[in-house]
Amino acid sequence: MSNVLVELSNALATAAEKAGASTVTVNARRRMPASGIAIAPDLVLTANHVVEFDEGITVNLADGTELPAALAGRDHASDLALLRLDGSKARAAEPAKDARIGQIVLALGRPSAEGIEASLGVVSALGGPVRTRHGGLDKYIRTDTTPFPGFSGGPLVDAEGRVVGLNTSGFGHGAAITIPADLAWKIAGQLAEHGSVKRGYLGIRSQGVEIPQAAQTALKRDQATGLLVVGVEKGSPAEAGSLMVGDILVAVNGQPVRNHDELLVQLSGDLVGKAAPVELLRGGQPQTVTVTIGARE
Amino acid sequence: MNPASLLDAALDDLLRRVRPLLAVIQDGRRGAGAGVSVGDGLVLTNNHVVARGRSVRVTLEDDGTFEARVLARDPEVDLALLHFPGGSGLPAAVFASERPRPGEMVFAFGHPWGQRNVLTGGVLSAVTTARTRRGEIPILRTDARLAPGNSGGPLLNAAGEVIGLNAMIFGGDQGIAIPAGIILKFLEQARRSNPSRPVPEGAL
Repeated sequence: MSNVLVELSNALATAAEKAGASTVTVNARRRMPASGIAIAPDLVLTANHVVEFDEGITVNLADGTELPAALAGRDHASDLALLRLDGSKARAAEPAKDARIGQIVLALGRPSAEGIEASLGVVSALGGPVRTRHGGLDKYIRTDTTPFPGFSGGPLVDAEGRVVGLNTSGFGHGAAITIPADLAWKIAGQLAEHGSVKRGYLGIRSQGVEIPQAAQTALKRDQATGLLVVGVEKGSPAEAGSLMVGDILVAVNGQPVRNHDELLVQLSGDLVGKAAPVELLRGGQPQTVTVTIGARE
Repeated sequence: MNPASLLDAALDDLLRRVRPLLAVIQDGRRGAGAGVSVGDGLVLTNNHVVARGRSVRVTLEDDGTFEARVLARDPEVDLALLHFPGGSGLPAAVFASERPRPGEMVFAFGHPWGQRNVLTGGVLSAVTTARTRRGEIPILRTDARLAPGNSGGPLLNAAGEVIGLNAMIFGGDQGIAIPAGIILKFLEQARRSNPSRPVPEGAL
């Protein structure tokens, strides 16, 4: 018999099959293998924390083929690592558009040769920016799927089998989050090109402060907090851009900086080496200075 | 009707069809397991649910309670077959004939923590294997919530067909089921080894 329940069930199994063809096994740690997503015939994106080895890494494709893989780059801040396969045989996954809260999703993994594994859930929350142990994460997805052992590095897929993001339990507390596909693919592009993700550097020490209502009005920003500069490093981009102790940072490159997390996220990636407008309050008056963002070592 | 309402209606229909199949099984110890009717007064359950004796009590959906006899058991695949004379009028479960697919929707039906006739949903997480003394056997894994009391109850597909018998819970979030293929082999074996009370063809 066929009804809407059977149709939904078939659609989910087909989604698992389709995305499963791009979901691989990553053998790069001593304990059990983990999962990865083929994003190109020769590139596999996985979670950084499952890549314990720098050498001797292998990847099993969906058909079981085992290929040697080289580490193309890692990014601790987003817990992503990119592997380059010895051979262009993988089937590239199709990324999805933005995730929506309540959307039906499957978390997939391929931690063994026994086949694709799945767990069902919905998109529970969209979060970020958030500070991580090694930097900042622009945004993330939280779901109520069950992260089975070896699921880290595998895809979260929608009902059409498109990849909504990459699942990882590498941020601790036993909880898994999902790096949204557009962010994951962007970081993968930087890893493929540079082997690392460039992160911006200002060279200030700062602390959060409240912005008085009058100053908010003068700034034409509805922003209750900013960052008070309490130190400027010698020879830093901030010094070159004439930032001073006592300035209150309110925006970088047009984006509000309400706290340290937002500053870290604003400094990640694209701005390195570029002259960016930095909006601040100096003596209660709004000013904009230009700072050429440095690269953090 | 929007798809969610259609889904509700389909779930109602599935529950209505499978409710009469489900039994409560008690073997005198505390707690109870589940069983599923396979027709002609025969009820399938886990061996560990009826490990204590040859005589057990079967309670049906209408609260009718019967003494049942353990007709066959196989501890290796954790299956047991019960027979009780009053059960010949019960409908028989339909077993899925197609191989289950990871990601397809599944429903576990049982009595978790003693609560009667509870349906929990999820997907088939994996078709994998477990090692027994007889060698490796295939098993099903699901993310549908299972608890003590689900043992012996059916794992159903979206069409209401039995794809397995729920048997174990690992680590709180992972249920294990014995697949239909193993169950059908067990039933066939039980039929051959019980010429005096043959397991009817209808059950296979």
